Amino acid sequence: MNTTTVPETEPFIETVGLKTHFRTPRGIARAVDGVTIQIRRGQSLGVVGESGSGKTVLSRSIMGLLPRNGVIREGSVRYRGEEIGNRTPKEMRSVWGREMAMIFQDPMTSLNPVMKVGKQVTESLRLHLGMNAAEASEVAEKIFRDVRIPEPSRRLNQYPHELSGGMRQRVMIAIAMACGPNMLFADEPTTALDVTVQAQILELLSEQIHDRNMSMLLVTHNLGVVAGYTDEIAVMYGGKVVERAPTKVLFDNVKMPYTEALLQSIPRLNQPSHSRLAMIPGRPPDLVNPPGGCRFAPRCAYARDLCRNEEPPLTIAETPDHTFACHFPVGSPEYLERKVEISRRAGSTGGDN
Amino acid sequence: MRYYVQRVALAILLLLAVSMLTFGALNVLGDPLFNILGPVAGDVNNPDSVKMIELAKREFSLDRPLPVRYAIWLSDFVRGDFGVTFSSTGQPPVSGVISERLPRTVTLVAMAQFFAILVSIPWALITASRAGKISDRISTLNAFFLVAMPNFALAVILKFVFSIKLGWMPLTFVADDPLSSRLFQMILPALTIGLPVAAVYQRLLRTDIITTLQQDFILLARTKGLSRTRILLVHALRPSLFSFITVVGLNTGALIGGSIVSETVFRIPGIGSTLVESVLRNDFPVVLAIVMIVASAFVIINLLVDFAYTLIDPRVRR
Amino acid sequence: MNTPNTNSGAETEVARKKLGFGFWLCVSWLGAMVFIALFTPLLPLKSPTANFLDPSQGRPPYSPSWKHWFGTDKDARDVFARTMHGARISLTVGFSAITAGFLVGGTIGVMSGYFRSWIDRVSSFVFVVLLSFPSLVLAILLTSLIERSLLTVSLVLGLLSIAPVGRLARAATLQYSEREFVLAARQIGAKDRHIIVKEILPNVAIPMSSLALLGMAVAVVAEGGLAFLGLSVEKGITWGGLIQLGSDASKTLEKAPWISFFPILMLFLTVLSLNFAGDRLRTFFDVKEMTL
Repeated sequence: MNTTTVPETEPFIETVGLKTHFRTPRGIARAVDGVTIQIRRGQSLGVVGESGSGKTVLSRSIMGLLPRNGVIREGSVRYRGEEIGNRTPKEMRSVWGREMAMIFQDPMTSLNPVMKVGKQVTESLRLHLGMNAAEASEVAEKIFRDVRIPEPSRRLNQYPHELSGGMRQRVMIAIAMACGPNMLFADEPTTALDVTVQAQILELLSEQIHDRNMSMLLVTHNLGVVAGYTDEIAVMYGGKVVERAPTKVLFDNVKMPYTEALLQSIPRLNQPSHSRLAMIPGRPPDLVNPPGGCRFAPRCAYARDLCRNEEPPLTIAETPDHTFACHFPVGSPEYLERKVEISRRAGSTGGDN
Repeated sequence: MRYYVQRVALAILLLLAVSMLTFGALNVLGDPLFNILGPVAGDVNNPDSVKMIELAKREFSLDRPLPVRYAIWLSDFVRGDFGVTFSSTGQPPVSGVISERLPRTVTLVAMAQFFAILVSIPWALITASRAGKISDRISTLNAFFLVAMPNFALAVILKFVFSIKLGWMPLTFVADDPLSSRLFQMILPALTIGLPVAAVYQRLLRTDIITTLQQDFILLARTKGLSRTRILLVHALRPSLFSFITVVGLNTGALIGGSIVSETVFRIPGIGSTLVESVLRNDFPVVLAIVMIVASAFVIINLLVDFAYTLIDPRVRR
Repeated sequence: MNTPNTNSGAETEVARKKLGFGFWLCVSWLGAMVFIALFTPLLPLKSPTANFLDPSQGRPPYSPSWKHWFGTDKDARDVFARTMHGARISLTVGFSAITAGFLVGGTIGVMSGYFRSWIDRVSSFVFVVLLSFPSLVLAILLTSLIERSLLTVSLVLGLLSIAPVGRLARAATLQYSEREFVLAARQIGAKDRHIIVKEILPNVAIPMSSLALLGMAVAVVAEGGLAFLGLSVEKGITWGGLIQLGSDASKTLEKAPWISFFPILMLFLTVLSLNFAGDRLRTFFDVKEMTL
């Protein structure tokens, strides 16, 4: 890795037309089908989508963690200006842990059940930073304190099953942060946790990111999670990015009907009780035989013939740094027309914004 | 705690049942008298023979009913008195024979188990990390062949190749040789027993390692930038060992059976070959003692494996 | 994580629902062995006991040649003929033993699994006792006490297989007894005997039958071991016995390895075929393992 400092405005990590296809018995599954994103130094990007949208595969593709066989890759991935998309796992090993780290959804299965948690942290320290056992132990304890694990020296000698879910996730964060990486991939980090703990963990992540000037790619299916904790949001559907904007802009000025539907499906505290939760009908598209045209069209309440025939191009919105892919976005005349029809048919339900 | 006591009680009960079965079988199906005295036992007309018969009957308590004889034998047995061998001179005492030969068998079985573990772990690690590739398939085939070859046949082949043709290994076991030579002489016999067992271990361990490698924590280990070797040895191996350890313990019985054959082919005077000799000579006290020792070892080892399992897995530890 | 399964090398070869070429190859070998075992006296073999001394060749043992395909032993007896005769006892004992074991052990197992209660407790205890000996030890013990004929040796080995077979039959029966169709049959008042025969047996028979081949392999090896030690059928020609005769003295093994090696080869191929075919059937029917 070259050590020239990259100016703040240049993308720290970016993908151009990244495609990850898997060979399956049924055919080729196009999990990630042409994704172009950039993340700047110290910036965090939330990638949101339902299961099957390709968001997890995206994060693993960027990091290079795919299985060895049956995978077809196209497009480029650049880290600090250098192409890493075509590197072998062996070559990537010097990057993993040291410059890039990943945390997973379920800390119970992601931590080695028969190894003390302290050792799981010191392992990286000794390998990448060349520390000896004593030094590594000290540093590990300090990191445990940073991630707010109470009684850190005692915890170092415990096994994962002796810790609570929230603490296990903190351990995973500690492992990720151990060598001071520049880039963190967080794959549904709070999904397996209690609601009360989720906010704590997100706060912790946010703090760490800012303190260390790290970039983060946060993958989740829950828009509520990214709302307060990411700088930008990219919405994925069927292997493609269908909308991208800075967080506030997205919430204020959503363009793509799918994103709008996602926003609406978040239960809100100020809804009258017993409101029916708005769901998006239908199921995610088949990745082996995706529908022609816009992939969301079969489930979109506002879809027209054009949507089913032609894939919508990436359009730049009037709000800054905002792109989306839709023929008839939110607010357009065709959209409003359809919306009136829907309201008339359904009547109003309590809780409509 | 209760669990442990229960299991021990069951084991004792089991051993009693085993002893009764064996004792009964030997005394009912065989004719002890004949074996002490030979044809004299049937010679009831000759007064000298009759005197010898009476003498033998008293000495070996043959005139008492079976359950009484059993009780006498049992009380002697647990005190370490295995009786005397059936030969006209009553020499040497069975316990002497056993104490001289048992250590050799124990050594042999221990060496066999050692080789089996030593061979199977790396073998499993390598084939697991290359699962599906040519080298793995070839290895599976080899393992299959190894398991299909009966103990005694393997012994003959190994003896032929390594002792006779290549001359690397000595031909016989010499009881008076120094310890190091004796151990060396046991290598081939130990391999005979250990290799097929290693194939069994390897197959099991390989499957377990492959399963472990699919787990999430292995993926996390990869993201830490650890090398494949380190992941295999440090992260994947230990969680995969649980079934392995159980099988190793339980297989000790099979190894004991294998030692019978191995000792016979390589002429090692251990309790395995002694069992065969005594059986062919109808020397009951020896047979009885050896069978009981082997069965006891078997039962005790199974018990220990049971207990050990609760200690090994930290998740099960209370 | 939704990464599709890409069969990255691990054993995800979905059980090929075909038995395969290897399977049929093994079956042919076994068929040939059975044929030989059945029709040995009728086959154009030399006599297994006659001495074919040939002064022109010097002293026996004679190495393999056109006259004696497998050579001869020290007494100039034809090894090929003896090996073929050896198939008779070895296979017969193996087959009879496993049949007896399956019949008795299977019955006990099914009954224990179905009726539970005292039958189950008693038989389970008996099984555990039988399994407390390494099987070879028990085999040696028992065969030494009896007159060793084809029948008795088969019975002893059959006895030894009762416990493993019984345990398996019991486990399989237990599985099926809990299923709805059995509970339903009991509800409508069907007689136990009827249920067992009509519902349980056909289901249990499938996994059990695929283990018959594996069990037979174990029995053949066990008989071989006994024969090697001199404890199989008296005065019979068996593979184990032939191997022992050819390897007893190091000189014999050194000078005339063919005496042992051909019987070893036959035994090995037969056991291998049984193992392979049994294994194939097992994956075909998807069953757990059995050991003796």
